[in-house]
Amino acid sequence: MGEVAAVTRLLETTALSKTFGGLEAVRRVDFRLERGEIRAIIGPNGAGKTTLVSMISGRIGPTSGRVLFKGRDITGLKAWDRVALGIVYTFQVTSIFKNLTVYENVALAAQRRLMKGALGRLTLPQHILAEAVNRALAQVGLVDVGEQDAGSLPYGHQKLLEVAMALALRPEMLILDEPTQGLAPEEITALSLLIRALSRGVTILLIEHNMAVVLELATKVTVMDKGGLLAEGTPYEIETHPDVQKVYLGL
Amino acid sequence: MRRTRARAVWALHLAILLLLLGLQFVVPPFHQIMLARIMALAVYAIGYNVLLGYAGLMSLGHAMFFASGMYATGLTILHFGFGAGAAFGLGVLAGAIMATAIGLVTLRASGVSFLIVTMMFSQAFYLATLYFNEITMGDQGFIISGRLQPLVAGGREFAFSDPAVKYNLALVVFGLCLMLSVWLTRSPIGRVLVAVRENEERTRLLGYNTSSYKLLALIVSGSLAGASGSIYTLMFSYVGSSFASILFSIYPLLWALLGGTGTTLGPLLGTALMTYVVDIASGLTSSYLLVVGATLVILIMWFPAGVMGGIRARWVRWLP
Amino acid sequence: MSFEGHLFLALLEGTVTGFVLALTALGLSLVFGVMRIVNVAHGEFFMLGAVIAWYFSTMPGGFLPALVAAPLLVGGVAFLADRLVLRRIEYKPESTIVATIGLLYIIQQLVLTVYGPYARPVAAPVYFRIDFPWFGYSGYKLVVAGVSAALLVATWLVLSRTTLGLYMRATQQDREMAQAFGVSVHRVYALVFSLGAALAAIAGALVVPVQQAHYLMGLDALLMSFIVVIIGGLGSLGGTLAAAFLIGMSDGLVSVFFSPTLAKIIATLLVALVLVLRTGGLFGEEGT
Repeated sequence: MGEVAAVTRLLETTALSKTFGGLEAVRRVDFRLERGEIRAIIGPNGAGKTTLVSMISGRIGPTSGRVLFKGRDITGLKAWDRVALGIVYTFQVTSIFKNLTVYENVALAAQRRLMKGALGRLTLPQHILAEAVNRALAQVGLVDVGEQDAGSLPYGHQKLLEVAMALALRPEMLILDEPTQGLAPEEITALSLLIRALSRGVTILLIEHNMAVVLELATKVTVMDKGGLLAEGTPYEIETHPDVQKVYLGL
Repeated sequence: MRRTRARAVWALHLAILLLLLGLQFVVPPFHQIMLARIMALAVYAIGYNVLLGYAGLMSLGHAMFFASGMYATGLTILHFGFGAGAAFGLGVLAGAIMATAIGLVTLRASGVSFLIVTMMFSQAFYLATLYFNEITMGDQGFIISGRLQPLVAGGREFAFSDPAVKYNLALVVFGLCLMLSVWLTRSPIGRVLVAVRENEERTRLLGYNTSSYKLLALIVSGSLAGASGSIYTLMFSYVGSSFASILFSIYPLLWALLGGTGTTLGPLLGTALMTYVVDIASGLTSSYLLVVGATLVILIMWFPAGVMGGIRARWVRWLP
Repeated sequence: MSFEGHLFLALLEGTVTGFVLALTALGLSLVFGVMRIVNVAHGEFFMLGAVIAWYFSTMPGGFLPALVAAPLLVGGVAFLADRLVLRRIEYKPESTIVATIGLLYIIQQLVLTVYGPYARPVAAPVYFRIDFPWFGYSGYKLVVAGVSAALLVATWLVLSRTTLGLYMRATQQDREMAQAFGVSVHRVYALVFSLGAALAAIAGALVVPVQQAHYLMGLDALLMSFIVVIIGGLGSLGGTLAAAFLIGMSDGLVSVFFSPTLAKIIATLLVALVLVLRTGGLFGEEGT
C-alpha cells in the first residue's frame, strides 16, 4: 500500500487580467507552472510579461481572475505574505539597498525566515544570521565583498546580490525578471550556470529577451504577445513556431 | 560594521551616561538645570529620530504626542492626585495611543503628504487645547507643584523641587531611552526600518509588511515623545498650550537634523547645542528664533547629515 | 440683531474673506502646482506685504503706493530666496519644506526686530459706510473684495493669454516636455515663486486697514492658504477660487455663530482628512 500523494500544480492562474486606465496589459491569461521547471516567458516589449509576474508575486493586484499557488487561492494575499509561502521576485532593474553593505542586504532577506514570533523579532543571535547570510553569498560567489557598500559593486555583481537575497529567502518559486540584462558575456554564462544549479531545488520562472539564454536554460517556453499567451512549448518548438516568428520578425 | 564592535558601541553609550552622571557634581546650578532640561527634551528628539532617521518619515506633528504626555500627566496629578509614577506611565501611554490613532489614519500618505497631514492634525490638537480651556487652561496653563507628591523609594522621600532629583530623574529616563534606541537600531526590527526608509517596495517583496513596521516606528516615536512631555511636567511643574504649538513640532526636527538623523547620539547633541544656542540668543534679543531659522537653512543646504552624521561618515564608521 | 441680520453679516464677511483668501492662496497654489514644492514661508510674504504697507502709510506718499511697492519688494525677496536657497537644494520636496520653515523664522524674526511686536493699525484710504437694515458695513472691505477680484481676473489673463502663462502651464503639465521645447524651467520657477509671493503681499497690503499689521499674522494666512489649496487642488485657479469661497463662507458662518477657534479646528481637520482620503495624495494627477 502506498500513499497517494496529491500532486497539485505549483502555480496556476485563471483568466488573470490587468487593465490600466484604458489599456489591457494582460488579457484573461491561463498560465500553468509545474514544479521543477525552468520556464521562460518571452515576448516583445509591452506584451505584458512583467505585469503578469507582478500579479503572481503580488506587486500589483489583478483587475480580475485568480492566482493559485499549490492549489490555494492567493489572489487576495499581499506581496509580503506570498514571500512567506515561497514566492520570490527579483527586480528587472536592480533594486538593492545601495547605501547598505552587501552583508546587510542579504541579512535583511535572511532574517525574514528567522524572525519567528515576537521574540524572534526583537533579538536574533548573530551567528545564526551570519551562517544564513554567508551560505547565500557563497552560492553566488560574493562572500569576500560582504563589507562593501552594495552601491559600489559593479553592475554584474549587483545582479548577483539580488539573486543572493532571493536565495536567502529559501524560495520554492523564484521569479527572475530579465536577469541577464546589462551583463557582459562571461557574466551571462556564469549566471546561466548558477540558475541551472539552483533549478535542482527551486522552480524557476524567467522573463528573458536573450534568446540564447532561453534556448540554453529553459525546459519550457511561454510566448506572450499583446497581453495574451501566444504559444507554449519546448524551446525548439517555439523557435520554429510560425506565429512566434511572425510576431518577432513581422512589424 | 554592525555585528562586530558591539562592545565598543555599548561602552561608548555607557560612558556618555556616566559622564552625564558625573557632570552634575562639577557644574554650577544653572547648567545643572540646563542639562536636566536637555536630557528630558533629548528623549523627545530620540523619539523623533526613530521615525525620521530610521523609518524615514518626516512629521511636523510631534508636539501632539509630547503634549499628550504632558496633559495626561499634569491633569491626573492636578485633578486626581495621581502619584508621579502612575502619572508618568499614563503620559507614555497617552503618547502611544495618540500615535496609534494618528498612524492608522495618516500612514497611507507618505512623504510630503504625511508631513502636511501630521502638521494639520497637530494644529487641530493645539487649537483644541485652546478651545477647551476650562480643562487645559489654554495658553496660560497650570502648575502642578502644589499637588505633586514627592517620590518615595527605599524609605526616603525625593521632592521634585530638589534640583538633584530633577537631574537624576531626567538622567535615568534619558539613559533608558538612549539604550532602547541603540538596541532598536541594532535589532532585526531596526534593520527593517532602515530598509523601509531606503526602498520600501523592495522591503515589501522581501516579505515584510511595511505598513505595520511604519506604524510600529510611529508608536515608539510617539511613546518616547509622550515620555518626554511627562517627565518635563514632573520636573518643571508647568503645563501649557505652547507645548502643542507648531514651533514645538519643529524643535525635534531641528535637534535631530543638527545632531544627525539616523544616529543614536545625534539627538542628544542636537538638543544640547540648540538649547544652549537658543538660551544665549534669547538673552541677547527677543527675535531669538532667528537662530532656529538660520540653523535650519544652513543645515539643509550644507550639512544634511548633521554633526554626528558627518563624524560617522568621515572618521568613526562604526557609530550607530 | 436678528438672525437674518447675523446671517447676512456672515455671508458678507464670508464673501470678502473669500476674495482675499483666494488672492492670498493663489500664489501658494501656483507654486505648488508648477514647482511641486510646499512653501511654508508663504504666509510670511503676506505679512511682509502688510508691514510694508504700514511703513508706507507713515510716509508722505501714503498708503496707496504700497499696493505697487509691496508686491515688487516682496517679489524681490522671494526671487532671492529661490536663487540662493531653493535652487541649491534642487527643489527636493522634504528639503524645501525644511528650508522654507527656516525662511519663515528668518523673515518673521527680522520683522520682529525692525518693526516690533506690536500690532499697528492703518487708516483706510477710502472711508464710507454702506447702510444695511441691520448694520453699517465698511465700504473699504467691499473695495478690497473688488480689487482682489480684479487681480484674480488679471492673473487668470496672464496665465491663459500670455507666453509666460503658457510656459507656466506647460511646466506644470510636464516638466521634461517643457524643457525639451526650450522652456527654461529654472527661470519659470524663479518667476512663479516671485509671482506667488507678490500676490500674497498685495493681499496683505490690502487687508492691513481692516486687520492690523502684526509680525505673527503670517501664520494664520499660511494655514488658511494651505486649507484652500489642498481642498481646491494644486495649480488650479478655478479650484482655488471655489475652495476659497467655500472656506471663507463656512469660516464666516461658524465664526459668527459659534467661535473662530472652532472654525479653525474644523477647517484643519477637514483638510487633513481630504489629504488622507484623496488617493492621488498631494500631487495626484487629477488634472487642473
